Amino acid sequence: MYDAPTPETRLTQNTTKITARGVQVYYGDKQALKDVNVDILDNTVTAFIGPSGCGKSTFLRCFNRMNDTVASARVQGEILLDGENIYDKRVDPVQLRAKVGMVFQKPNPFPKSIYDNVSYGPKIHGLTRSKTELDQVVEESLRKAALWNEVKDRLNEAGTGLSGGQQQRLCIARAIATSPEVLLMDEPCSALDPIATAQVEELIDELRASFSVVIVTHSMQQAARVSQKTAFFHLGSLVEYGDTSTIFTNPSDPRTESYITGRIG
Amino acid sequence: MTDATSANVPASAPVPHASSLLTQTALMKKRNAAETRFKAYGIAAICVSLSVLAVMLWTIFSDGVSAFKQATFTFPVTLDPERLDPKGNRERDEMMRVTTIGYTNLLNQQLVAYLAERDISTEGVDDKDIAAFISRDTPARLRNMVLDNPDLLGQTIRFEGFATGRIDGYIKGRVTRDTAERDTNISVAQLDLADRMIDEGILSAKFNWSFLTAPDASDQRPEAAGLGVAMIGSAYMMFLVVIMVLPLGVAASIYLEEFAPKNRWTDLIEVNISNLAAVPSIVYGILGLAIFINFAKFPQSSPLVGALVLTLMTLPTIIIATRAAIRAVPPSIRDAALGVGASKMQTVFHHVLPLAAPGIMTGTILGLASALGETAPLLLIGMVAFVANYPAGPLDGGMLDPATALPVQVYSWASRSDPAFIERSAGAIIVLLAFLVVMNIVAIVLRRKFERRW
Repeated sequence: MYDAPTPETRLTQNTTKITARGVQVYYGDKQALKDVNVDILDNTVTAFIGPSGCGKSTFLRCFNRMNDTVASARVQGEILLDGENIYDKRVDPVQLRAKVGMVFQKPNPFPKSIYDNVSYGPKIHGLTRSKTELDQVVEESLRKAALWNEVKDRLNEAGTGLSGGQQQRLCIARAIATSPEVLLMDEPCSALDPIATAQVEELIDELRASFSVVIVTHSMQQAARVSQKTAFFHLGSLVEYGDTSTIFTNPSDPRTESYITGRIG
Repeated sequence: MTDATSANVPASAPVPHASSLLTQTALMKKRNAAETRFKAYGIAAICVSLSVLAVMLWTIFSDGVSAFKQATFTFPVTLDPERLDPKGNRERDEMMRVTTIGYTNLLNQQLVAYLAERDISTEGVDDKDIAAFISRDTPARLRNMVLDNPDLLGQTIRFEGFATGRIDGYIKGRVTRDTAERDTNISVAQLDLADRMIDEGILSAKFNWSFLTAPDASDQRPEAAGLGVAMIGSAYMMFLVVIMVLPLGVAASIYLEEFAPKNRWTDLIEVNISNLAAVPSIVYGILGLAIFINFAKFPQSSPLVGALVLTLMTLPTIIIATRAAIRAVPPSIRDAALGVGASKMQTVFHHVLPLAAPGIMTGTILGLASALGETAPLLLIGMVAFVANYPAGPLDGGMLDPATALPVQVYSWASRSDPAFIERSAGAIIVLLAFLVVMNIVAIVLRRKFERRW
């Protein structure tokens, strides 16, 4: 039923990129995430799976502090990016987000040209010194997002005029244009058709070479196809975290087994 | 309830009437009838509003269009230098010693002489009655003409001058022989003479530019009254309102919508902004009188004070419209910008504001349109005054000179007794409506043009 995870994954050799210790998230009085501890590896695709409302998106949004934009949200615990606590008072979330890029559930390109969409991040962070350098970054990002060949002749057309799959790849290009170290993806394929999904999944596998990718997904097949590590969340708790192959073939927790076999969720 | 009865039938029993889709059930008929009735109410409501609007426009236009025309004499006038420039040195100061009365006498005599020359019977009217045909404003205009251009002296020019309001009214049908019999200002014999002058082409109704350009005139000279000062006053005020209300309104809206924490204070502010939008406009007039005139000592009747009051009045409306426009920008755009590391302000200014701009512009223009038509607060700050002098240019402190505004001019003319002013009042409404229509069209065009889909 599931594609076998790629055999050449050498997880143990990758270093830890993000360390979460005792993370608790509250929305007002409601606790959304209970005491989560997890180590996210570099150059690895980590999938968060679990039923709706289990806290996986909430957890993902802790990594770039997008939860800060929700007035009622409170985050406790520590999340270390390369050993630095991103919830330290001295950390500016704006600076953090240049390092931790994000791709959202619904493709959300800016209603501007394709070029402007990709160049926006490098521009505001002052990453390039000249127009030619910026052009290079745009091209490189679009190439990495496997979109260059389709849009190279119409960089000045509106990004919103692309198809859904192209829009999502444009959003990925926009996210990687700031050369982040971590790429967060919140159900990036849920609004796409199967063909576009396949393209994006292929892309995710390629992105692993340069980034640590964390993907939230509702599709267990997708998790099995693209990830090397999988974390299963249930009712706000991290139930099980391990190699994707292990989680899908030999889960240690009965709740994980129930979920992946379709009995809960 | 009717559905429940069918549920009470035991499941095993056969359904008594197998319902056919080809016949309507009683309930369905009732529902359809209700829908038809509702549509009829809607159409009726629209018809009533449209017919009221049609009646209103018809009244305004039938009363007001004639204000753009004016009974005008056209006859040759010889500008006798001996009377108009007795010293003969063409010095402006010397020539100014000849007052309007001198010009009045000259015009009266020349008109009487011209009638005699054209062999037009002046039966039943004396020279004084003929002189009464000429508006009191006309000699003043001739005098200004001569003072500005002394070379005219000695020449015979084809002069166009306004007739008095009664003659004007006779040409437009406002004054009839019946009303003339009861009127001490005009006699039937004078109207007969007017008829003969119309036949000879001396008297005719011409398009009246001075209605749009001239300042207001006194009660005795309705034919000379114009909208010039009112239009300049309104233009100054609109200009000041735009430059004050846009930054204030947009800044307040952005702060409240994007930055302000959601707590009891911001709730209170929000409720109060909505309340302020519903405060009667005359209250703002009292506020303006107390603060800007009595406390800050700004000059009365000045466009500056008017603009400040109108700014206060339109601010809540514009804040509400702007906030709605900002709220209509999808949150996914903000997420996208924040996600690539834009700061909050960059998110707002690079992404949210451009997308909200058409809505903000539309709201602002509609707010300005309501400010342009606002009368009550301006009455209280003295803009209803009779202003016969143009305010200075915008850079020469004209914003501090006394002026009126279009709606106030409508009000002040409508309250004068001479029917000629009522006609002018309706004419002023037409001008005001034209401005409002143009502003609304601009709002629609802007919205269409900049509307973006996402």
